[in-house]
Parts: sequence; structure tokens; C-alpha cells
Amino acid sequence: MRRLVLALAAVLPVALGACVDQAAGGGAGARDQIRVVGSSTVYPFTTLVAEQYLAANPDARPPVIESTGTGAGIRLFCSGIGASYPDLVDASRRMKRREYDECASHGAGDLMEVQIGIDGIALAEARRRPPMQLTPALLFRALAAAPGGRPNRSRTWRDLDPALPATPIRVYGPPATSGTRDAFAELILARGCEALDPRLATMRERDRPAFDARCLRVRDDGAFIDAGENDNLIVQKLRANPDALGIFGYSYLEENSDAVRGIAISGVAPTYQAIADGRYPGARPLYVYVKRSHLRAVPGLRRFLALYAANWAPGGALTRRGLIPSAASVRARAADTIMHDRALDLRTLD
Amino acid sequence: MTETLVPQAPVSTAEIAPHRPTDWRSHAMERRIRRRYTAERRFRLLGLGAVVVSAACLAFLLIVMIAQGYQGFVETRLTLPLDLRDLRLERSPERLKGPGADLALAGAGLERAVDAAANRAYEAEGGAALLSDGAWLRVRDAIKHDPRLLTHPFTLALPVASAIDVAAKGNGTPAAERSVAKLGAHLSCGAAWDFFTGADSTDAARAGIWGALKGSLLTMVVTLALAFPVGVLSAIYLEEYAPRNRATDFIEVSINNLAAVPSIVFGLLGLAVFLGTLHLPRSAPLVGGLTLALMTMPVIVIASRNAIRAVPPSIRDAALAVGASPIQVVSHHVLPLAAPGILTGTIIGMARALGETAPLLMIGMRAFIAAPPAGFTDSATALPVQIFLWSDQVSRGFVEKTSAAILVLLVFLVAMNGVAIFLRNRFETRW
Repeated sequence: MRRLVLALAAVLPVALGACVDQAAGGGAGARDQIRVVGSSTVYPFTTLVAEQYLAANPDARPPVIESTGTGAGIRLFCSGIGASYPDLVDASRRMKRREYDECASHGAGDLMEVQIGIDGIALAEARRRPPMQLTPALLFRALAAAPGGRPNRSRTWRDLDPALPATPIRVYGPPATSGTRDAFAELILARGCEALDPRLATMRERDRPAFDARCLRVRDDGAFIDAGENDNLIVQKLRANPDALGIFGYSYLEENSDAVRGIAISGVAPTYQAIADGRYPGARPLYVYVKRSHLRAVPGLRRFLALYAANWAPGGALTRRGLIPSAASVRARAADTIMHDRALDLRTLD
Repeated sequence: MTETLVPQAPVSTAEIAPHRPTDWRSHAMERRIRRRYTAERRFRLLGLGAVVVSAACLAFLLIVMIAQGYQGFVETRLTLPLDLRDLRLERSPERLKGPGADLALAGAGLERAVDAAANRAYEAEGGAALLSDGAWLRVRDAIKHDPRLLTHPFTLALPVASAIDVAAKGNGTPAAERSVAKLGAHLSCGAAWDFFTGADSTDAARAGIWGALKGSLLTMVVTLALAFPVGVLSAIYLEEYAPRNRATDFIEVSINNLAAVPSIVFGLLGLAVFLGTLHLPRSAPLVGGLTLALMTMPVIVIASRNAIRAVPPSIRDAALAVGASPIQVVSHHVLPLAAPGILTGTIIGMARALGETAPLLMIGMRAFIAAPPAGFTDSATALPVQIFLWSDQVSRGFVEKTSAAILVLLVFLVAMNGVAIFLRNRFETRW
């Protein structure tokens, strides 16, 4: 029995210690640790920056980077300012007007927008199968919930185009909260939708919700399979099931080029060159958003941002990890934003 | 004991047939006996088969993990001749042992010097790209350990880049395989100690498990500190003191229900209560521990109640009869006798908490953090979450790191169960 009492006595101070800690570390107040949330596509680049930051500042506390997906990340980022909210959000698409309003309503409207580079949304297939050639219009007809206003009934690629194989339409892609998914809808589906019916382009200007419902909704009858935020899982599924296609970021395509191959869209294959010069239709910019008020409050945040700029040029550490550099003028403007804390121009959001 | 256990057979008035000895040799009898033995054998084989199937699953898991994971404990190194005599240091080499050495060496351009040396020595094979991003940190540590290295040329085996490492282990891309073939004898193998001392990294060659392991340990300490006393005390109260009425019945049902609630629900609860209302720091082992304690507590209560109930009432009666107070009965007799069961239940609950991912994801313990946590309120990840994060990494080098991390988790679990068995044997009592 004495042993048990001793064990309890040993445990209790720890419990009390935890309470003291809680009083010291909890809640608002200053924080000397950079916190980042957001896109799983930008995550590998931000983690690399975090690592360099720690190597250059061995005494700093390690930045905390969470991969939550762009949508969820922006929601967390926008819930307020102060120590309990993230300083930075990684985004694999631009912030939407609606999201900005949410931010502003919580007092976090003073933002800085930095484009760190470009990513390509790759449509990929297993190397074992003969290469496919697709266009945005074909992809729209294959994957939209209601192309032309009627429910999508096509089962195989041949249903869409006699030149394509008679394999069933099966596409693994990221979930609806993912920026990759939004960008896919925006870059490929919307383009395909407009290509089929040019009148829709004016609808996009005048009635955005109707356009979104018509063009961006993805079918949910099993042809498009939500594979979660794990892109490696999609690569594995393609290895196992050569009939399927997958949607993921260019860096995963590059790393797994022995097993999967990028599908050319409108005749342009997703290569480094084609994405960098904008010929590939699935190219999208990657951003980080920063709260300007946190720049002063969180030590090291400025140096952290400067490290993005130091590594995003061609040949830099970020591009060696698969980031595609944006055009020189865009890079110069982004570096200038970081240098001079320029605020986000609201008029450009949609 | 006035009644007999066997009820009296009804008295039959019918004439009893004359008894004939059983004919064991008859054909029908032999067939029936054979059938009995066959059924017996079949049943035994069925049980054996079940054991074999479960053992085979376990063996399959272990063999796959060990086959993929053992290479995670091994790193490939490249021998690099270094001459750092031109490195401009602001302070004398002797003073490098003190604080600030990291900054001084980084400021002196050590990283560039190491890259330049690699470019000189292995220009044809790929130069600095052959080395891991963190190779210069290894040089930095060597210099801090022995500052005289700055005064003469020396060679050091440095970890190679992840792509080369994977290729040297026979699983890489053709280009990397060619580099490995060219480097040949300059490559060597060694234990990847960094894996046990480092934290998460974007470079598979540098990624370590210690950060996540420490996060898990801190989380478990908080869980144990909260769940064990509360769980055991409520079990004692419910078994020894509480009156039997509707209220205690309701509590009993609630606890049983709580033990069956899926863990993600506790994660949401933790998110709402600890982060939303109490404003505790996100991603901290403290919050993880509190959340997991909520999950573990019902398991401990149920196990402890069963253990306390199994203590024979005669022991309590005897203690009371010789004048022990109720608290003496509990602390001198009931608890020590119930201890093996309580401890086993606790450790099984803790082992479940150790392997839990879902609630930790909800409270933000799924972050990339490049250094191990320093305390309970520091941001941290936990072992199972680290495994999940690595499985999602782009680089192929992480495949073996993921398996290696799973092995570490398994060893941790086996150790915990070992402690459970040890404690059970130690406290075991007979009555």
C-alpha cells in the first residue's frame, strides 16, 4: 500500500505543475512562436522555410505549421487577431471576397498578400496505360454534376468521345475543402463549361452563384472519388488501378514520375516549362496571407517572410522542392510587398 | 445449507426396464464414439486455426514494417574532405564551446563552405546536391565538439540527400542510382542517430522521431496525472460508499456509454472546451493530455470497479471485525488486492490513448514543428500523428521513415504492456 501512496504522491505534483503551466501559457498575451495554418499544397514549402528559419536562428522557437486545407485554414486565420490565432495562412488559391469580409468582421482585415510561386494542378494516369489526351470541355462533360443542365449520365470516356478508350470514368481528387479542388473547378471545369456554351461567360459576370452551380459542381455518383487531403494516397490508387485518373499538385507528379504520367490538356502536358510560362491551363498561383498587426507583435515573422523571397527564385531551395517560380515581375512585386508591408488591395478580390 | 443442489427426481411409477450392460463394441456405438472424437478434434483445430490467423496477421504486420522500416534506422554517408581554415570567425576557436557558437558558425558561412567543398570533391557526380540539406549542421556539431578541426584539413562522413539515400538502399530513380554507382566506395553506412534525437524535418534524411516521442510522453503524463486519480477515486466511491439507487445506476450507465463514445467526439469536445472556452494554447501536449484523459477515464473507472468488486467481501468483513475504519479497509486491504486489476486497466487505457490520432488532429497536434517541445504548453505532435504526417510527404525517403516510426510506436506499446505485466505480477495476491 505504501508503494501505491508513493506513486500517487509522485503523480500529483505533475498534475499541479500542469495547472501552473496552464496559467502561464494559456490564453491571450504575447507569443514568440510563429503559427501557420492552411493549404496542404503550400505546406511542404512553408515547412522548408520554417526549417531554414530555425537553422539561421538557432535560438528562436520552432514555427508551428499545420496543414488544414485552404478553406479551413482561412477560417482559423480569420477568427481574430492576437496570440491565439495564426499569423500566416497558406493558400493554394486567392482569398475570396466573402472570406475577407469574415476576416474584417473579426478585426483581422489588415492583411498582406504574397504570391510565393506557381503550382500546376496535374491530371495524372498510371504509366502502364496508353496516354490520354483531354480538353477542359471533355473534363467538364465527364465530371460536372449537370453538364448542359441535365444530370451527368456518361459512364465511360468513349461515351464522350469515340476516340477515347472505353474505360469507366473514375477520377480520384481532393475533397471540397481543398484549395486544389477549388482551383481545379476554377481553372479546368469553368473553362470547359464556357467553351461548351459561350453565353455562360456573361453569366459569370452577372450571376456568379448561378454560374457556380451550373459549371463548378462536381458529380457525386461515384465517377469523382473524394480521396482526402493525402496526395500520396491518390498516387497509390493510380498504381493499383490503372483505369483511374488522379488530380493532385505538380510536385507529387514530379516525385512519382516513374509510376504516373501527367495528362496533356488541350495538347499541353504539365511540365515545369509549360506551367511556368502559363501555357498549361491548370497552373495556379500559391499565396501566403499575413496579418500586418502580427508583424510587429511576433518576433521573427518578418525574417520568416523574407526567407520565402530568398528561396523562391529559379534554382532556390523552394524550387528544388517542386515550387514553380512565378514570373520575375510578379516575384519583384511580392518581394516589395514583404519589404514595405504593403496591404492587400481589396478591389482585386472576387 | 439445508437444501440439496440437485432437485429430487420425480418418482416414477412405471416399471423400470431391466438394465443391460452397454455394448461398446456394437457398430452404431463405435460410429458414435468416432464422431465424438472427430468433433472434439475439429473444435480444437478451429481454435488453433483462430490463433494461427491472428498470429499470422500480427506477423505479417511486423514483417512488413521491419522489412520497410529497418532502413529508416540506417543512413548513407558520403566521405567529404573538408578544409575550413579560410572560414572567417569573429571569435577564437577555443571559445566556440560556449553559447552562441551556432550563430557564430552560421554567420561565418559554414553552410556555403561545406557546399563548396562538396562541389570541389564530387563535381562530376552532382556536388552539393548529393548532401542532405542538414549536412552542414553535422559539420557544425563536429566543430563545436572539437574546435581544433578549424586549424587543419579533415574528412567527415556526412549524410547524403534523401534521393541518393533511397537509391543506395536499392529503391531510387535511375538518375540517383547512376550517381550511387559512380560514388561507389565513397559511400558508407551508419546508424541514423539523428532519427532518435531529431524532430520533424522536410528532408527525410534529417527527420527524427524524438520530437513526436517527447510530445507523446508529455501528453501521456498529463493523461495519467488526471485520469488515474480521478478514475480510481470514482471507482472506489461507486463500489464502496455510494448507495444503490437510481442516481448511481444512471452514473453507471453514463460511464459505460462514455467508454464507447468514438474518440473523434472527445476531440471535438476538447476543441470546444479547452481551446474555445478556456483558451488553452493550441497544439499543446497539455490540451492533448486533457482530451485523452476524458477518453481514458471511463476505461479506468470500469476496470477499477471490476477489480474492486473482485475482492472477496470476507476480507472487508474480517478487517471491519478487527476494528479497522472504512478508510483503513479500503486503503489497507481493498486497494492493494485490487491493484493488479486497476493497473492493468489503466495501462490498457493508456496504450489506447497513446495510439489515438483523431482527437489530436482536432486540437491541432498535427503540425510541423522542427524542434522537440520543451514543456507541457509548447506546441508538439504525437507519435501516431507523426506517422500520419509522414505518410503524406512528397519525398520517397519518408516511406522508410514512416515504417521506422511505426516500429518505434510498437516498441513503446510493447514496453507499456510489459510494465503492465510486471506490475501485475509484482502486486499479485492470493486469497
